Amino acid sequence: MADFTLSDFTLKEIKTLKYVRPEIEKGYTDHSLHINLSSREIEIKPIDKMVKDKFIGGKGYDLWFMWNAVTGKTKWNDPENAICIASGPLGGTPGYPGGGKSIVTTISPLTGIPIDSNVGGYFGPYAKFSGFDVLELTGKSDTEMVVLIDGIDSKIKIYEVSGLTDDSYELSMKLTDYFDKDKPVNISVVSTGSAAKNTELGCLNFTWFDAKRKRVRYKQAGRGGIGTVFAHKNIKAVVARWGSVSMKNNNPADPEAMKAVTKLHAGEINTLDPKQNRMALVGTTHLVPIMNDHDCLPVNNFRYGNHPESHNIGEAVYEHIFDKGFDGCWRGCAVACAHGVKDFVPFTGPYKGQKVFVDGPEYETVAGCGSNLGIFDPFFILEMNFYCDTYGLDTISIGTGIAFVMECFEMGLITTKHTGGMDLSFGNRLNSLELLHQMARGEGFGMIVGKGIRNMKAIFARDFGADASIMQDIGMESKGLEFSEYMTKESLAQQGGYGMALKGPQHDEAWLIFLDMVHNFMPTFENKAEALHWFPMFRTWFGLCGLCKLPWNDIVPEDNRQNPEPAKVMKHVGWYADFFSSVTGRKVSPDDLIPMSEAVYNFQRLFNLKMGYGKREHDSLPYRSVGPVTMDEYNSRMERYDKDLTENYKVDITGMEVAEKVAILRKHREARYETLKDAVYKRRGWTGNGIPTLETVKRLGIDFPDVIELLKLNGVV
Amino acid sequence: MITVDDKQMEWHQGMTIKELLDELEHVQFCAVVRLNGKLVSSPAFETTRIPDSAVIYLLPLIAGG
Repeated sequence: MADFTLSDFTLKEIKTLKYVRPEIEKGYTDHSLHINLSSREIEIKPIDKMVKDKFIGGKGYDLWFMWNAVTGKTKWNDPENAICIASGPLGGTPGYPGGGKSIVTTISPLTGIPIDSNVGGYFGPYAKFSGFDVLELTGKSDTEMVVLIDGIDSKIKIYEVSGLTDDSYELSMKLTDYFDKDKPVNISVVSTGSAAKNTELGCLNFTWFDAKRKRVRYKQAGRGGIGTVFAHKNIKAVVARWGSVSMKNNNPADPEAMKAVTKLHAGEINTLDPKQNRMALVGTTHLVPIMNDHDCLPVNNFRYGNHPESHNIGEAVYEHIFDKGFDGCWRGCAVACAHGVKDFVPFTGPYKGQKVFVDGPEYETVAGCGSNLGIFDPFFILEMNFYCDTYGLDTISIGTGIAFVMECFEMGLITTKHTGGMDLSFGNRLNSLELLHQMARGEGFGMIVGKGIRNMKAIFARDFGADASIMQDIGMESKGLEFSEYMTKESLAQQGGYGMALKGPQHDEAWLIFLDMVHNFMPTFENKAEALHWFPMFRTWFGLCGLCKLPWNDIVPEDNRQNPEPAKVMKHVGWYADFFSSVTGRKVSPDDLIPMSEAVYNFQRLFNLKMGYGKREHDSLPYRSVGPVTMDEYNSRMERYDKDLTENYKVDITGMEVAEKVAILRKHREARYETLKDAVYKRRGWTGNGIPTLETVKRLGIDFPDVIELLKLNGVV
Repeated sequence: MITVDDKQMEWHQGMTIKELLDELEHVQFCAVVRLNGKLVSSPAFETTRIPDSAVIYLLPLIAGG
């Protein structure tokens, strides 16, 4: 045991485990690492073949270990709640586009059910190369801890730490420097920030070292407050250390086949991305003008879908602001979309007047912290992005949450009496930033905003006397999670994509707006239900394998549009099947990928049920996501809504007042969503109450005794 | 002449993006094009005129973030 003191922080080694590093065989180490922060126990366990066969890896492994760690009564802040981090069998393949993701899960403080987040950075691959397919963190330390997984020296170490900053950027840089000063690229740090301790919106920052810029870079496991759980456990950081990375690391079953498919996919992206979305230049900011033009960009808390000033915050501007250079969050990724801005100078907060580097923004941050707040200033968005990362906050929940506050303020539901004197009208840049600083300092109205929309609705009604029913309509959360940044009023399929997403309204399960709304590709409920089966299942597969979904369908083959179902990009699905076969030796065809995901997907739905949720009533939506809540919204798109009433619902609107039209449209649209639920549940093999049937769990091989017992308890026999 | 997805095509004065797409096959899912590097979305297809020598790429089906 040794103490190490640098100028401003001290690490005291309190536990070390020297281990024999499990070799990787066909993408798997077949071992898990368990660290209990309360007892300081470190355990390495073999992973059962049944788990490998049914849960595949990544999110599947995370959910299996969490299921066994918690009871149905476990709350997010109970010591037994686990944070699990896993890559996947394909994760860590250098050069394969999007081939280095980590999947993080925990019981969310916002929803009470498992949240999952798919994140870049080097941590997942480094942890796997160090010997572990999955890391499980349980318990709660009474002092701040740093955990080191050192695959180079084959040691797991737990340190008590003091004097180390909460500021996530600085902390990551210091620990990178500390644990491998000579080769910082060997280090990946997972940490959060000061606001994660004071709010329920904490994110995790995962680093990789940018050798060209000689600095630590970030990606975020943003959604659902994972950073808050991390902070509550008193974990300051988890660090992975690993050395050389090559295509041999995963010890693939067929190295030549793996190299061949890697070359094909990377080559196609290198050729076509410059002609298509140009993500290597602009990231996902190309979506801003496209969403705006199609009335899908959230403006003023999802009231409207476009704004004439949106051109100020799209790709045309950020292309010139982003620092040029390679920006892949995994080694050799051809998409390389993780851009950043150097020498940005914040105008508020502790970094006011200092040059900083900002990782981002991506589309979600631009829309959430920009247009949805009625703010079209690209530099303000950079500052929100920077402080969210520094303080460990999810930019999506922050954007959607502050947008809700602003609408409440403009409606007079809350006033300066409640906000500590702050004017929180749409467009108020300084006070938006002040909310973040308050969250970091743990004071003021920011502490209330940091509880998330569901809690805010309760507080505003209970303590401020605000109208609960209007807040229910305009508070853009479902299952307790804030919506990500797409307008769904005109896409029933995407309403389902959000409302029936397992963890809450995040678009990574299904993004069907264009297929549905723009192309009218799925006119019937059954068409929509089929899409709400296939797409969530296939998107889940990326999280099982340790991959990013962007290379699948954001850059597509030139002949893809000749395919009868171009949205599936079947040529790429075929490549993914080849990739999986070549690494794992398990020969699969494209048709085999959906059943792999189906088992895990249904298991997660059952996990929700175990935690007291996971039924039809929990798939409900705020009406703002379904149709116009206010007369102002109706009037802003009157032609569209009048047409919907007259043509689709055969309503005679002659002489009808707008308020009446709003009410009638609502009745029809809400009924339509319930019909969609019926169709989707049927397609997924669920009961009318949204619970997987006995037949479904048996077909998928997840009919474990405790699953059968759970179903029985909920009336499914 | 104009270039569409790296292929040469005839151009005429006043040609719009909608007219161009009407000449092409398998474009029912085309909601956005790049016209000389700039994005043009479907609501503007009818009113956006293509200049001579333009370079156009049809963007893939928009798939979200």
